[in-house]
Amino acid sequence: MKVELLSVIGLLLCLLFIGIEYILHYRLAEIQDERTAKAENIRQRLEIHVEGVLYAPTVSSRNAEIEALAAEINGDFEVYEAAIAAICGHKGSKADTDPEAIDDLVAEINEQVDPIGIYAKMLDEGDVYHKGYACRRLSELFAYEYIDKIAELIDDKSRDLAYNAAMALCAFGDSEHVARYLLSIENDRLYSGRIVNEFFAKFKGDRQELAELLFRDCNPYMRDTVIKTLAGYKIDAFRPMYIEGAGGNDHQYKIACVKALAAFGYPEDEQLLQIAAKDKDWVIRSSAVRGLSLLKSPEALATVKHALSDKEWWVRQTAAQAITKMDISPRDLEEILGGYDRFAADAMKNVLYKSVDGP
Amino acid sequence: MGFLNAIRSFIVVFNYFCMAFTLLLNIIYIIQLLVSLVRVHKNYDKAFSDDFHSYVDSDNLLPISLIIPAYNEQEHIVQNIRSLMKINYPMYEIIVVNDGSTDKTGELVINAFNMHKIETSIRYQIPTADIEGVYYSRRYPNLLFVQKKNGGKSDALNAGINLSRFPLFTCLDADSRLERDALLRLSMEFIKDSRTVVAGGIVRIANGSKIVDGELKGFTMPKKLIERFQIVEYYRSFLMGRVFWSSTNSLLIVSGAFGLFRKQTVIDIGGYKRNTIGEDMEIIVRIHRYMHKEHKKYRVKFNEFSVCWTQGPMSLKDIRSQRRRWQIGLMDTLISHAPMTLNPFYGFVGLFSMPYNWIFELFGALVETIGYFLIPFTLLMGELNMFFFVMYFLLSVALGVIISEGSLVVEQYTHRAAMTAKQSIAISIYAVLENFGYRQIITLFRMEGIIKYRKLRKTWGKIKRKEFEQ
Repeated sequence: MKVELLSVIGLLLCLLFIGIEYILHYRLAEIQDERTAKAENIRQRLEIHVEGVLYAPTVSSRNAEIEALAAEINGDFEVYEAAIAAICGHKGSKADTDPEAIDDLVAEINEQVDPIGIYAKMLDEGDVYHKGYACRRLSELFAYEYIDKIAELIDDKSRDLAYNAAMALCAFGDSEHVARYLLSIENDRLYSGRIVNEFFAKFKGDRQELAELLFRDCNPYMRDTVIKTLAGYKIDAFRPMYIEGAGGNDHQYKIACVKALAAFGYPEDEQLLQIAAKDKDWVIRSSAVRGLSLLKSPEALATVKHALSDKEWWVRQTAAQAITKMDISPRDLEEILGGYDRFAADAMKNVLYKSVDGP
Repeated sequence: MGFLNAIRSFIVVFNYFCMAFTLLLNIIYIIQLLVSLVRVHKNYDKAFSDDFHSYVDSDNLLPISLIIPAYNEQEHIVQNIRSLMKINYPMYEIIVVNDGSTDKTGELVINAFNMHKIETSIRYQIPTADIEGVYYSRRYPNLLFVQKKNGGKSDALNAGINLSRFPLFTCLDADSRLERDALLRLSMEFIKDSRTVVAGGIVRIANGSKIVDGELKGFTMPKKLIERFQIVEYYRSFLMGRVFWSSTNSLLIVSGAFGLFRKQTVIDIGGYKRNTIGEDMEIIVRIHRYMHKEHKKYRVKFNEFSVCWTQGPMSLKDIRSQRRRWQIGLMDTLISHAPMTLNPFYGFVGLFSMPYNWIFELFGALVETIGYFLIPFTLLMGELNMFFFVMYFLLSVALGVIISEGSLVVEQYTHRAAMTAKQSIAISIYAVLENFGYRQIITLFRMEGIIKYRKLRKTWGKIKRKEFEQ
């Protein structure tokens, strides 16, 4: 009897659970529908306002349209973002031809709507994800008055929030706090590499100053990562350091420094790059070949030609791509394509076939 | 008499075993469901501040080679390539590998994209059947067409890997469609966690959905019952099972229709295994095995927001062929990697994921099938109380509905539901109906896969699929 009773109770519980699931499912689906309908409704209403703002014949009518748009937005960040996206992406208006006029228009709308206020409220009251989002948006709006508040968040225990806050500070060009954040994650090698790359790309301040702050206190891993990242920005002030590293014995440091030196393409570095092109590490050889291809001297050409038969495929491929940008004579080309060196010929053919049209 | 008594006792014990089996399986499913619900909800919140669109111009975004193995795909291939050319990703190449098609697949692609044969150096990092030619068009510089001798899907994928230039590759089915942002979302798994070696996206049933240039433009309920059941089934499989297993880094399968791989890892393990029809599962299990053996840190991820659409089979014949193939692929992989099972060296994969697949995914079909015949038989013999039989049946159905309906709730938490509230509730009726016939038929197909394992383990079979609505 006991088992029978238990099984009946079990079945009733299951039915109750199914009932709850159905109610939850329906409610969530309804919310989804409401959101879709709201989005569509907003889109339609915004369309009218956006056209009004973009095509208003006089200043006063435009101001009236902006006021109406601000009333429509009414402190809702989703509506605000949709409105700005609609204005910037509007086809056939001056959005296509005069980006500056659109920037001015957005600035006028911002005066009425006060998006900074909207995101500042989100920064105060939102959960970690909304706070992170607010940080990023505030930086896009150049809300410098919130730098200190955002800077406090780089020490937050939520990794997402700390990252978003630091990213916002990058947009503000705040080298001191960004450096502090990067140093706080330097031991997390699975994470910090890509963050350094991202932060330097988005950094609006003085990259040299940021790098100097990092070099002062960072560990070798962070140093090498920063050097590799900086390669693309060609900061002359660090060249002596690169030259020293390229000739040293610290392997990872050497890889980073040769990459950075190769990006400059200065004739005075040719000697170092020639030595690096004979290194036992193919990553160093590949970087050196890329650097030598920028020099275009006969010696550099000879080394790049030689690299076409390197034992490592990536070096051969880099050399084949690089040599087509150098002053290569038809005779050299014939020699490579028709020669006995199959590696060199294959690598060149691969590049050349892709640079011509088909039948 | 003694023999009959023994049989009788065996049947009674087996009945209890069936009940315990069902109960245990459903408890596991409910745990999976709850974990998935929490994770999907959290991931959605997290995605809010991720701002993946801002990565479009980031150096961290790794370029991707999209490899499409094609065998007699003349109906879909050109349309699929055109749709892939419109996806939102800054740097990618499309490599179509024509695996010795006997129809006009090659001709159509070459003509449609004005391609010409080029000479190229191929790094045979993974051995494959002979490559007869590589075609290229300057007008479409990110498209490469490879003509090779027939060697099977795995061989075609390996050839694509050999020719690919980029550090990540994804394998795509010629008859599937990617959502515009699918690759961008999926590649975030590699950006956010550098240990990621594989990331799988969600495969959704496109039957009834209107998809234009990778964007969902509407949904109408598919006409056939079989298509409706599959919608529920796919949600259950992807949003419950895969979310759960990936949260414990023990996901054993990434759909062959849409998975993103770190190329070097796949090369290190020797590429896709030839002569298996479950290559998508086999490669993941082999990656787990290799990474553990090499003591490397790694992650196999699943991203429920990255969508690939596929047309589900529309006839019982096709679904039979598909499910039989899946079961054979599962069995083949589990047998090949049997030493991993219950081996603590492989962590959660060895201790939980592999045994789960052996017991519930493989032998579950066997237990269920025997149960279908034996329980009514026992009832007729008078060995089973009618009340218990009815209760057992009702409880099994109720638990099944809880799981399926729960998956539909999880789907709502992705905030990417294709259906309206009414359609969503209408489809949930099939979470109940599937227990009366459809589920039993599918179990029988799976059982057939086990029985015909030796005979069919190298046979793919062709499934007829509907065209995508344009």
